[in-house]
Amino acid sequence: MGAEIDAHDLVQAAAAGDSHGWDGLVERFGALVWSTARAWGLSPDEGADVAQTTWLRLAEQLGRLRDGHDRIGVWLASTARQESLRLVVTRVADHADPGQDEPAAPPAATATPLEPEVVLWRVLYDLPAHCRRLLRVLSAVPPPDQEELAAALDLKVTDVPAARVACLEAFRDRMANIGIKADVEDS
Amino acid sequence: MTSDPSEGFDMVNPADAQLLDELRRAASQFDPPPPAVVEAARSSFTWRTIDAELAALVFDSGVDQPVTALRGGEGPRLMTFSSSGLDIEVEVINLGSRRQLVGQLVPPQAADIDVRHAAGTTTIQADQLGRFGADAIGSGPVSLRCRLAATPSAQPVVTEWVPL
Repeated sequence: MGAEIDAHDLVQAAAAGDSHGWDGLVERFGALVWSTARAWGLSPDEGADVAQTTWLRLAEQLGRLRDGHDRIGVWLASTARQESLRLVVTRVADHADPGQDEPAAPPAATATPLEPEVVLWRVLYDLPAHCRRLLRVLSAVPPPDQEELAAALDLKVTDVPAARVACLEAFRDRMANIGIKADVEDS
Repeated sequence: MTSDPSEGFDMVNPADAQLLDELRRAASQFDPPPPAVVEAARSSFTWRTIDAELAALVFDSGVDQPVTALRGGEGPRLMTFSSSGLDIEVEVINLGSRRQLVGQLVPPQAADIDVRHAAGTTTIQADQLGRFGADAIGSGPVSLRCRLAATPSAQPVVTEWVPL
């Protein structure tokens, strides 16, 4: 699994000019960067800009990162979050269309209503914003660790486990309610 | 093993683990990173500069003074990048899908400036007073690489990538 690859080795290789090391970083953390941008409500185009800015910044920083190369995931998640915020704030200042806040819902027309993944995804976007963000970042593959999740969400690392428990519980509650409704309709 | 505060983080109860598995499947199905985004991330590697001094973004009016921007209406965006020997001030004028840049090197001096953006590189000149400008830069991430005329063999200065 990708999670076992030592991120430290990938950074060292990339810093030495090895593009395979870089590609490994993109594979390992690409979904985390994307999920962070989408969690903060960016549209796909905005997410693409944030992702590109984040990776370009990392390319510039490779030889200069003094902090432990072990924490590159934290750096990427934090940068993606900050760049997402920058885009949101400058979007407002530009008086651009504010209607980009809602992240993509699944393609409703092409899926039967009760397909599990569709229901799951809809329930996710029905949650309060802080849980939607947390679970959206947590659904990246490979998943973030505790520090990476904290960096993506701007939470204290020690607050993350309780927040995860609470949001999973909220999610399960809503799934259960939908199940009850479905049972009632079927009977 | 070191005492790692996140050691227990991977351990969730089976019901939560299953829910997370299902969420991850849904995410991979409905909202994975688009192929173009992945490709752009890979290509970003080619933009790295060796032996250049990095000028950090120390001020961005869009972020640091958003109230002013709202109240005043259509003021341009001002950014300042700072390195040990050179500051680069840039005004960004939004022309819809394009951007106009009006800039100033501090201390004022002549330089060659490569305006690097995802679509390519545009080279412009800063005059003796350190003034420079670029029209018709596309939106998206931009970085300026400055080669000072006074010290042609010195390290160039590159600014942090910033989306315009």
